[in-house]
Amino acid sequence: MSTGVHAAIDEATVRQLSEELGEPDWLLETRLDALAALSDLDFPDVIQTPGRKWTDLEDLDYESLVDPLNAAESKDQVGPEGVEVLSFSEAVEQHGDLLEERFGSVVDPKTNYLTALSTALFSTGTVVYVPEKVDAEDVKVRTTMNSRSLFNYTLVVAEESASVTLLERQDTGDAVDGSRYYSGVVEIVAGENAYVQYGSLQDLDQETYNYQIKEGRAGTYGQVDFIDCNVGSRLSKSTVETHLDGDSSETKIVGAFYGHDDQHFDIDARVWHRAENTTADLVTRGVIDDHARSVYEGVQDVGRDAWNTSSYQRENTLMLSDESEADASPKLIINNHDTEASHSATVGQVDAEDMFYMTSRAVPERRARNMLVEGFYVPVLEEIEVDELREDFESVVRTRLANRD
Amino acid sequence: MSSEQDQLKETDTEARFEFKKEEKSAFKTGKGLTEETIRVISEDKDEPEWMLERRLRALKQFQQMPMPTDWPGQPDLSEVDIDEIVPYIRPDIEVRGGAEDWDDLPEEIRDTFDKLGIPEAERNALSGVGAQYESEIVYQNMQEQWEEKGVVFCDMDKAVQEHEELVKEYFMTKNVPASDNKFAALHGAIWSGGSFVYVPEGVTVEMPIQAYFRMNSEGMGQFEHTLIIAEDNSEVHYIEGCSAPKYSHFNLHSGGVEVFVGEGAHVQYSTVQNWSKNTYNLNTKRAIVEKDGTMEWVSGSMGSKATMLYPATILKGPGATDNHITIAFAGEGQNIDTGAKVYHNAPNTKSTIESKSISKDGGRTNYRGLVHIADGAENSSTSVECDALMFDNESTSDTMPYMEIQESKVDVAHEATVGKIGDEDVFYLQSRGLDDDDAKQMIVAGFIEPITEELPIEYAVELNRLIELEMEGSLG
Repeated sequence: MSTGVHAAIDEATVRQLSEELGEPDWLLETRLDALAALSDLDFPDVIQTPGRKWTDLEDLDYESLVDPLNAAESKDQVGPEGVEVLSFSEAVEQHGDLLEERFGSVVDPKTNYLTALSTALFSTGTVVYVPEKVDAEDVKVRTTMNSRSLFNYTLVVAEESASVTLLERQDTGDAVDGSRYYSGVVEIVAGENAYVQYGSLQDLDQETYNYQIKEGRAGTYGQVDFIDCNVGSRLSKSTVETHLDGDSSETKIVGAFYGHDDQHFDIDARVWHRAENTTADLVTRGVIDDHARSVYEGVQDVGRDAWNTSSYQRENTLMLSDESEADASPKLIINNHDTEASHSATVGQVDAEDMFYMTSRAVPERRARNMLVEGFYVPVLEEIEVDELREDFESVVRTRLANRD
Repeated sequence: MSSEQDQLKETDTEARFEFKKEEKSAFKTGKGLTEETIRVISEDKDEPEWMLERRLRALKQFQQMPMPTDWPGQPDLSEVDIDEIVPYIRPDIEVRGGAEDWDDLPEEIRDTFDKLGIPEAERNALSGVGAQYESEIVYQNMQEQWEEKGVVFCDMDKAVQEHEELVKEYFMTKNVPASDNKFAALHGAIWSGGSFVYVPEGVTVEMPIQAYFRMNSEGMGQFEHTLIIAEDNSEVHYIEGCSAPKYSHFNLHSGGVEVFVGEGAHVQYSTVQNWSKNTYNLNTKRAIVEKDGTMEWVSGSMGSKATMLYPATILKGPGATDNHITIAFAGEGQNIDTGAKVYHNAPNTKSTIESKSISKDGGRTNYRGLVHIADGAENSSTSVECDALMFDNESTSDTMPYMEIQESKVDVAHEATVGKIGDEDVFYLQSRGLDDDDAKQMIVAGFIEPITEELPIEYAVELNRLIELEMEGSLG
């Protein structure tokens, strides 16, 4: 149970936000409902082991972080022809019915305190609508945050046999005094035989606290893939989930992170097998340096009726510093025996033999190490279909390594 | 196989475990847990004041701690009502602290252990046996050759009297304090019976020593304490066996095990547990390993309605090693939540965990493990391997490992797989003339082989036989 809701997080604020976006009554009601639920909702689940909580979200001072009426951003939303990429206010005008049907259908606003806060206070967002049988490549949504707080909402709907690949990225522009808060809710619906690859690159500055939840639902023969790249922020809690609701649906959840200084990443990857013949493949690779800390939780949940499931998960962390910490908990929850499932996790440092091999071929030590770290990401970066995402991630990694001793 | 082993195999294992005896006790507390009960137990045992004080402090801690209820997927403990448990039953025996000859035991107790095959095992393979019936050790023997070297193997109550200084120093102080968890606190308050093992520096006890725990009465709790102190460069293998017949009312087993492995010492702790299907088995087991010492846990968790047990090892000295091998089996109505915990607190420490589970007829198995590598534990390595085999769609199998890594110069790997019994494997064996049941049993025997090969042959045979029994009648 949470307490201490900020004075500005009140009904008047919510009504004002809703009015500015020209929202219909149902959406205002949804916001007010979420607001009213705040006092009863818990913070997102975090892993706890005897004597410690792996990520502490409750203790963030939301009162000083949240300033919903003064949100400022610059946004760039582009997509190819045949697919609609709309700002949230445009979507309210042009696709009221679609919104009413889909809003909150994947991520329940009352999932936890932070999702409810997002639903009550969001002021910006993007709706991507891909009609039946349309193939859309390289949709790009770039958001630069210029205020103390920003609440963003993204909805992607791919109708039957449609396909879309998109990149959403967040960074920070104008500086503010003190800390900031970015909150993003992403809902993805893939209809029958539809394909969605949603990639994100979170590159917020290190004064920013970040909460994001990205969930997809895949229909029969549908596929939802996530690429979740995290390099920025002071503290991030990023949850990525796929619900395999339709028979023969599939998902791939690819994660990449690089933490340095005193960054803290808490990353969840979850898949819910809820139909027959579904397949999931979860791969995450992360590097952790300086005093940074990574927390990884992976869940493969195979339901009673999920016959003939295949589910695989791998997580590898490379530790570059002795002051860093890497925690991992890959979980398997299996209720149907007609399943092939496995998970694995490793933590280690740059391989000594590889280093020896490269230095013995006259590559200077520092360069050899940097090459090995860059190479470590290759298996996950290969999965990215939007070039910009891959290139930007690689360049962040390269710059960080170059600035390192 | 020798004829003796054949004989063991052919013993009717089911009859060995399922019989029950009419309850006959010399002293029995009332149900429930009060300060008064604790005082009565302590007085009946003629304990020193400090032990009574420890019990009373543990009782307070127990009363203050909440029941664990919110672990993901944990067994339901709502039925465990301490007020319904009889915490202490002293069986009707003449020799307190355990007879040295089976013949000195009352017939029905002797008969019980005969059926369980304990005296026979002692003659054949063991260097000593302790047997606990309800709350007290009823038989205790250690072969002379080890006694001469200063090895002590006696029941815990006797140790409080005869080795008071050692017990006072080590008993629930540095290893498993009562404050560790709700059931450790309960145990600290009402513990009774169990084994005390002391192996002096440099002594190797070449044959395993064994303690067998038998719960016979309905609605009782068993809370034996095992304290093993292996001094530097010593070596010992301790085997624990447990069983209880099934009654309509639940039983509670909440034991405590503390192992101290000295520098360069080697301790193996093996358990084959087969509690009745209405027993709650909520144990705390922990080992502290000094420099270059080795701890090995081998456990087979069969039976019980619910088990929550995660043997833990603290690798305290550089170069210390820990190996866990566990197997769990859950059939209808059973929830076996078990795993392993390892704390790497020094450089060059090493651990391996190998966990196998089988679930069937709606049974639920869970591997819950923790590997912690502290800052400074450089060049440590750990590998965790979990395999789960599921027989049908009513069963559930979960794997929940936790890894906390605070040191970069490490090698950490966790791997888990879940699968059904392979249709192709069954087909292959059937095509060579085995029927379906035999084929599946053979596959299971192969699946658990890494465990059985670590056990003395008698135990391996018993474990296989128990699994065969669990599988019988439901595979057709």
